[in-house]
Amino acid sequence: MNLVNRVFLFGFVFFLLSLTAITIPNAYAENPNKPVGNINGPDTQQFNVKSPASDLWRAVRQREKDGSGNITGLSQVKGPNASTLINVGGQEWRDWRVSKLIPYSMYAIGGTLLVIALFRLIRGKIKIKAGRSGKKIKRFTDFQRFVHWSVAILFVILGITGVILTLGRYGLLPLVGKEAFGFIAYYGKLLHNYLGPVFSVMMIVMLFTFIKGNLFNWTDLKWFAKGGGLMGGHASAGRYNGGEKAWYWIAAIAGSVVILSGLIMNFPQLITWLNISNEQYQQAQFLHAVGSIGIFVVSFGHIYMGTIAMEGAFEAMQTGECDSNWAKEHHDLWYEELQKNGELTMQDESSKSSSNESAQTV
Amino acid sequence: MAANVKFYCDSERCIECNACVTACKNENEVPWGINRRRVVTVKDGEPGERSLSVACMHCTDAPCAAVCPVDCFYTTDNGIVLHDKDICIGCGYCSYACPFGAPQFPTSGAFASRGKMDKCTFCAGGPEETGSADEYKKYGANRLAEGKLPLCAEMCATKALLAGDANMVSDIYRKRVVSRSMSTISSSAIQKGGFNPQ
Repeated sequence: MNLVNRVFLFGFVFFLLSLTAITIPNAYAENPNKPVGNINGPDTQQFNVKSPASDLWRAVRQREKDGSGNITGLSQVKGPNASTLINVGGQEWRDWRVSKLIPYSMYAIGGTLLVIALFRLIRGKIKIKAGRSGKKIKRFTDFQRFVHWSVAILFVILGITGVILTLGRYGLLPLVGKEAFGFIAYYGKLLHNYLGPVFSVMMIVMLFTFIKGNLFNWTDLKWFAKGGGLMGGHASAGRYNGGEKAWYWIAAIAGSVVILSGLIMNFPQLITWLNISNEQYQQAQFLHAVGSIGIFVVSFGHIYMGTIAMEGAFEAMQTGECDSNWAKEHHDLWYEELQKNGELTMQDESSKSSSNESAQTV
Repeated sequence: MAANVKFYCDSERCIECNACVTACKNENEVPWGINRRRVVTVKDGEPGERSLSVACMHCTDAPCAAVCPVDCFYTTDNGIVLHDKDICIGCGYCSYACPFGAPQFPTSGAFASRGKMDKCTFCAGGPEETGSADEYKKYGANRLAEGKLPLCAEMCATKALLAGDANMVSDIYRKRVVSRSMSTISSSAIQKGGFNPQ
């Protein structure tokens, strides 16, 4: 990329940045406490007399809270929350969702995309310096690739449907209208709810499949100290570099939180024996949203680095094999180890049988 | 006429007969497991026992509408909070946010997932054509369009549950408070001097 192009693109990115900086706060931080849904009625109307209900419910509000923080009594009606008089946590959850979750997740997603765009402009595409050698090294087994891609595809579907459910009201809905958005969100919710458990299973399988080689060591500290070689320079790495390991552990920890909280919310009318209270649903939704926005944002980095950022990276997960020069440049310690164990010559002769064998041993 | 309607349940009068619950179920033909209205009793069997009939309170700043991911709620000219079941996706967020436990969910689809939300409409139907069969099927009766008030309040035996224009409800309640204090004063006089009607 020449200088003129770069300057032009920089300008474009700053234009986008200023656009979001102007529009987002106006649209969402303008008046978070404004009543929602009033079209033409009560907004303009005033009570002449104070409603006795406010005093009554204020008195109810003073009552003692039960174990789950709600004000409850007894009711002949049986059903979820039937005996609850006031769901105390509801207001807090609502405030958090409207004034924190929605704007901040927008900032997080937009900000990450901007950072990636800036990184692309500064660094450009990361090429294999020595060029391709043409020699292939087995990097991932068929099973590893199957697990990775099933998790990846499910992740993308869950991510998109989740973002539609969280932010769609402020993004997609004004564009397509309420009816169409309701239709999209309804099927999005179905997909999200039914694929969630499948994702959970595959995610756990993936964590076990990739745990080998993903434990941190001193090399990773040095790798992080050098910024992972992101801004040029070289940072040594084994089979996985510090960034990949960090992504693994973020996925493992935040992923577990998201999976658990998601499963709690997923079958409210099937798992009635757990007696999940409204408060627990609110907490689960909080953890689910925060955890998934976190993973979602970090995944942008992983997806970018794994696809268009770096020459030779995508093919490793696509075909299971990487170029030997790519391995030498980005995973030098792994390359040396393979060389030492004499596994490289074996792969160079491309003896498929031995690679399949190693696939089964992993 | 754009009144601002409200419910009010007089805890001094409610006797926990659950007739409002039954009336609501019958009038709106709500499915099993859906309770648009319920009676909750506190201090059951103890001195100071009180009961309250609870349903959607048609909040001015409704939390359900604020958190709905598909924006399916709307407020009518009368201040009634209604929702559109064609848009609702049954996510349950309204029930997380609602202080009064008004949103109800039927079971539909695989693994007992939530169906479209159902709640008290103040007997005002829904966004479908007024009086149509569709409206009745989805949202229940539209008594307001017929010039009637919600059945739960209209047939309350002790007139504990009041529904209607907020100012009228307040007026009725204020008169009750006055007469109650009068009776308290007179009864204390009787207790002191004995009952001597002459």
